[in-house]
Amino acid sequence: MIEAVDLSRVYRMGTVDVQALRGVSFAIDRGEFVGIMGSSGSGKSTLLHIMGLLDRPTTGSLTVDGVDVLALSERERTRFRLARLGYVFQDYALIGELSALENVFLTPLVRGAGRGEYLRAAREILDEVGLLDRADHLQYELSGGEQQRVAIARALVNHPAIVFADEPCANLDTATSKTILDLFARLNRELGQTIVMVSHEDWHRRYFCRVIHLEDGRVDRLEDQACMSHADVGDRGAMI
Amino acid sequence: MLEGLRVSAFLAGRSLRRGNKGTIVLTVMIIALVFVNLVFLPSIVQGVVVSFNRQAIDYNYGNLDIEPREGEFYIPDGDTLVTRLGRMPGVVAAAPRIVVGAAITFATTTRSRSVIGVDRETEVLVTRTSTRMIEGEYLSAGDRDAIVIGKTLAGEKDERLDQLESLGGARVGDSVTVAYSNGEIRRYRVKGIFRTDAVGADSSAYVTRAELADVLGLQGQVSQVLIRTVEEGNEDEFRNRLYAFGVQEPISTWQEKSRGILADVTESFAIINLISTAVSLIIAVVVIFIVVFINTVNRRRQIGILKAIGIDKGMIVNSYVLQVIFMALLGTGLGVGLLAVVLRLLTVYPLRFPGGPVYPAVETAQILQSMASLLIVSVIAGYVPAWRTASEEILSAIRG
Repeated sequence: MIEAVDLSRVYRMGTVDVQALRGVSFAIDRGEFVGIMGSSGSGKSTLLHIMGLLDRPTTGSLTVDGVDVLALSERERTRFRLARLGYVFQDYALIGELSALENVFLTPLVRGAGRGEYLRAAREILDEVGLLDRADHLQYELSGGEQQRVAIARALVNHPAIVFADEPCANLDTATSKTILDLFARLNRELGQTIVMVSHEDWHRRYFCRVIHLEDGRVDRLEDQACMSHADVGDRGAMI
Repeated sequence: MLEGLRVSAFLAGRSLRRGNKGTIVLTVMIIALVFVNLVFLPSIVQGVVVSFNRQAIDYNYGNLDIEPREGEFYIPDGDTLVTRLGRMPGVVAAAPRIVVGAAITFATTTRSRSVIGVDRETEVLVTRTSTRMIEGEYLSAGDRDAIVIGKTLAGEKDERLDQLESLGGARVGDSVTVAYSNGEIRRYRVKGIFRTDAVGADSSAYVTRAELADVLGLQGQVSQVLIRTVEEGNEDEFRNRLYAFGVQEPISTWQEKSRGILADVTESFAIINLISTAVSLIIAVVVIFIVVFINTVNRRRQIGILKAIGIDKGMIVNSYVLQVIFMALLGTGLGVGLLAVVLRLLTVYPLRFPGGPVYPAVETAQILQSMASLLIVSVIAGYVPAWRTASEEILSAIRG
């Protein structure tokens, strides 16, 4: 699903080069719920952005869903993101002028779906995340948890190959975070959705099938957990 | 392409509906005022031109002016020519005139002016001076001791009120002495004073042609024949018909006769007009640019997110362009309304120019041209900042 080989990323900060990633290699299989963890500045978000085609590595190679994504033009990368990837950002990143429903049906609309089709798809997925009754509400009328669920619905509505989540619980309280993580786990379990999530909260680790630990831009260790039967996710969450 | 436009229209619509209404209203108002400015000044210029043209036809030259051949003072046998012209299809009337220079004296004031000898019956059909009497009456066919004079020539007793040199306040019933260029001196009673607002006409004096023919010893010769045609605007073609009809003398159209002064006025106004149009359009560009620039800068993050979730840059840019087009159309629509009110007011209370009242003359082409130019500059002014912001790297845009 994702194959990264020797990825490095150097940022130019004024006259100083900052090495955010240093020769990172790993592979992620379809249907995995992978966590990328590490301390602040370890390169977690940089790696996620590169995998999510929001940034380019300085060196290395990257295959996503069977495509050498580094060879794609900007326009092709945009189409690739639209068709095969979904994003959940730390601070929800909803479009403020759009209702929950409109935020969700935006990408099917861009893909050329008819009105009936995109409305149905958006309502279904909002129902899936438990927000159908809030469909017509604008961003400021939704709580943080609700906004993040709308963002998840938006990420999922096009049935992406991979969902990337960049610290999706960073601005949420523990109870709401658990709801969101439970939702991710359920989507992974029931739909086989591949999810790659960045987190620095140790207790999130329990939800992941596999954890890529980064330290100073390098893979510190790969931690395979028993990729959950997922049956006990709720119980695990409750234990926290 | 159409799918992209559908998305752009969707985003634009939501932004307009749920965005900052104050900004939208302000932008629309500015576009409306710019539109009014774009059309208003040219309409006044056109109004001046129309006014000048009307005066040239109605008080000075008719539609066509037949004058003596080069080196000759008079058209021989003018009466016969006038009779023939009067029978020609398309001719309302032909008015023979004798024009002579003279010194006109009222009390102690003497002014050198043209004295024009006219036949009342034909003159009233060709020119409209007889309808602009502000005191007394116009000439009658048999008048020999009567003169009608323009308001500018008559003047005021208080010379400070005069725009040009005058007789110092001659009034109906007063006697004036006219010394003709051939030495003949006649005394006339002022029968009427007219005011056409055409400077040349209002500085002239009119007596009957019979009187002038007697003064100058002419028998059928005339200085000019003015022709009023049924249709206006095709004087060139009509001139050719007159030549074909057998007229031997040079014929000038009213456009040719008034070309000098009108060309100067039109050119001067055209320059003012050009500057005003350029300034108006620059104002529109700057305002729209600033509005869209601030709008897009404030939404950098939103634009980054849209790009991140797979929305093409072109769709995002077009959504801003569509918003600008909407505001430009709304602004021009409002501008048309404002303009209608302004024009209505100026029709009822016209601007007073030295040449008389000027009514704004709006041409459809001018309105369409202003709409088009405003729309084009709006699109450019909206596109550039939107494109610049949307071209930013996704991550730096999202990070704000």
